[in-house]
Amino acid sequence: MPPSRISVIDDAGRPVALGQPARRIVSLSPAVTELLFALGAGDRLVGRTTWCDYPPAARQVPSVGDGLNPNIEAVIARRPDLVVLYRSALNETAATQLTRLGIPAVLVRQDRLEDIARAARLLGRLTGAERAGDSLGSELEQLTGSVRPDPEHRVRVVFVAWDNPPVVIGAGSYLDELAGLAGAANVFHDVGSASATVGLETIVARNPDVIVVLRDSATAEPPGFTRRPEWRAVRAVRDGRILYLTGSLFARPNPRAAEAVAEFRRRLEESTR
Amino acid sequence: MDRELILDVRDVSYRYPGAVSDALAGVSLAVAAGEVHAVLGPNGSGKTTLVRVALGLAPPAAGRAAILGRPAAAWSRRDLARVVGVVTQREDHLFPQRVRETVLLGRYARLSLWGAERAEDHAAVERALARCDVSALAHRWIWTLSGGEYQRVRLARALAQEPRLLVLDEPTASLDVRHEMQLFELVRALADRDGLAVLLITHHVNLAARFADRVLLLADGRPAGDGAPADVLTRETVERVFAWPVSIASFEGRPQMIPLRKKEDRT
Amino acid sequence: MRWLGLVVVVACALALAVVLGPAHVPLADLATSDVVRSLRLPRALLAFLVGGSLALAGAGLQALVRNPLADPSLLGLSGGAGLGAVLAIALHVSSPWALPLAAFAGALGAMALVYRLGLVGGAELDPRVLILAGVAVGAFTAAVTTALVSLSDAAELRNAFLWLWGGLSGASWDSVLLLCVYAPLPIAVLLAAARPLDLLALGEEPARHLGADVESVKRRVYVAASLLTAAAVAVSGVIGFVGLVIPHAMRLLWGHRHRPLLPAAFLGGGALLLLSDTVARVAVAPRELQVGIVTALIGVPVFVLLLRRWTAN
Repeated sequence: MPPSRISVIDDAGRPVALGQPARRIVSLSPAVTELLFALGAGDRLVGRTTWCDYPPAARQVPSVGDGLNPNIEAVIARRPDLVVLYRSALNETAATQLTRLGIPAVLVRQDRLEDIARAARLLGRLTGAERAGDSLGSELEQLTGSVRPDPEHRVRVVFVAWDNPPVVIGAGSYLDELAGLAGAANVFHDVGSASATVGLETIVARNPDVIVVLRDSATAEPPGFTRRPEWRAVRAVRDGRILYLTGSLFARPNPRAAEAVAEFRRRLEESTR
Repeated sequence: MDRELILDVRDVSYRYPGAVSDALAGVSLAVAAGEVHAVLGPNGSGKTTLVRVALGLAPPAAGRAAILGRPAAAWSRRDLARVVGVVTQREDHLFPQRVRETVLLGRYARLSLWGAERAEDHAAVERALARCDVSALAHRWIWTLSGGEYQRVRLARALAQEPRLLVLDEPTASLDVRHEMQLFELVRALADRDGLAVLLITHHVNLAARFADRVLLLADGRPAGDGAPADVLTRETVERVFAWPVSIASFEGRPQMIPLRKKEDRT
Repeated sequence: MRWLGLVVVVACALALAVVLGPAHVPLADLATSDVVRSLRLPRALLAFLVGGSLALAGAGLQALVRNPLADPSLLGLSGGAGLGAVLAIALHVSSPWALPLAAFAGALGAMALVYRLGLVGGAELDPRVLILAGVAVGAFTAAVTTALVSLSDAAELRNAFLWLWGGLSGASWDSVLLLCVYAPLPIAVLLAAARPLDLLALGEEPARHLGADVESVKRRVYVAASLLTAAAVAVSGVIGFVGLVIPHAMRLLWGHRHRPLLPAAFLGGGALLLLSDTVARVAVAPRELQVGIVTALIGVPVFVLLLRRWTAN
């Protein structure tokens, strides 16, 4: 076996082999794009999705679409020797198609921090930057095991993704993990899935201290639902304790997790002062 | 005997939108109380159109139609339903009904918006059922009735309206001879005993000739004769209108049309 | 007796809706609980009004188009409502009432369009054409809405669909009051049309001769049923099944005469939606089920039971 041959098993259990470290990579995941730049392999990126906006250098790379339902032709047009996708049913089909066309495709999970850590190591191996990958991976793993404040002093939060019907973020998601790392307790941690529709009266009954809302951009105006009469039954709405998380830092798991945790912790302290 | 004129149609013409020729041209019709006036003619001669114009459902291009002296167009549908009872050629049966229920529908025009049916409404229904000899069927579902019974029920519904004028559009189209005779006898009795004015559209020339006081014969929307059956139903006129050779016989003083076979077909 | 039974069912449904919920409220605290007063009670009343309106509109519509399979969703209103909601979100209208108002406006637009298409010869409403136009308008608006949403980057637009199928979570005393002010007129118009609708079942021509102003009845019933449905969709999104099945179920018990059928449909629809919403809130707590799914799951067995009873007679 040639010494430079790279063999990995991706998060979908598929074995992928490269003859040499990847030189032309198409990334169909913003987290993967960030990871590649963090590993110093940003110059090897030849294709990205429209969501891949960090770091700024990534925006120079041509886009192959929004990546939600991968445009195979656009991907092939970039002549990649490796394509990295996040794991989903649609993407598994796309990966199979690419493999059949002779292009190695790797699926990575992206729900929680540990997935990003693992992806860092995987990408490190695939790009020949093993040391950087392992180092970043360890960093992120340490973060997940970091010491959390006393459970009794935790700030109780609810992540509201939508107001009518109320959709909250549950334990299956990155935001829930962030909350835990930042010293907050997600009142809907008992909901297993990443998001779920819940009853408004449940939110009222669980009485969170702070409502966290994800936004695309920073505006001063509170979201419409805070003025709706039925939401006024929630104490945090009446008290105006609403926290906005904007930008790609919080929207999805990414290697800047440490920064995200710190920022979140700071914002929480601010809002409960 | 000076009978009250219930329906007065003078010289009406009507053309359907987009049609090339008139459906009616210069037709007149007068029906008095206690009188049975039949309208005869081949298919497409304008019989149903005449009824629509007479009752204000279609505005005539020329001429006028009046009911009880008032122009047909001036009557609201509700007011007209208290004076004219119509048994149409066809009606739908969207849901199952009992006989009494469907006859009760005839009281609509006399009911108030929110008020329930009163004793007088139920009494009118009973009278109508009795008049049409269907009282025994009052609790039956309509779909269980024979064709003849069903037509009498529809007639009862029209009578429940307590009208002055009864309009019947091909009421015996699918009935056998017994039910047909029963219906014509009933209609005659309604005119004689109860003084109703009756406008009867039928293609049954012979029965019309026997039971009607006056006959209006239409051909292509034009009147081919209006008057006593013996005066209108002459051989020349009938042959011309129906485009078939006939012989006219007399029965009980009334003309009866006998279609002839073509000479070549005779064995 | 039947009426008494129906009223008892409605009262029980109301009681259950107030007593049961994902947040545990002890019976003793019911009167003072904030959850009950601000959330459960208005939501229960809204469920009753919306369910009743949908069933009443459905019964009227079935009579109007002479088709027992007609359902308020065939009017194309939900498509219009969805488009209105998506446009409101896309234009970043931030008022808390933006979505319901935009949805209502969209539904009215669809209603006007379908009405216009349903007029044949410029003056007469043809009920068969109405249904076809409603389906066409509904499909078209739904397609435009889907296209807008899929072509846009904003995740918010996708949430418009969540809202459209949302259900009664937006209930408050404000929306109850609004409906109480708005609904009585269309409800009264439909109830008043009960007898003419009986006549209409014989056919338009016989109905005319019996004294019904058929054109006016068709117009009034169409507009009133549409207004009720538009309001229901605006406050609680699309809830299917109630408008289709409740009239049928009530016919099995009350027959076809509309004077008893229409009020019975209103009460029956209110009870069904009340019970369904309670189940939706409680069955998988803390999560909430989509109420439209529950109405179908509850409604079908009840309907089958009634059907068997009727065929056995």
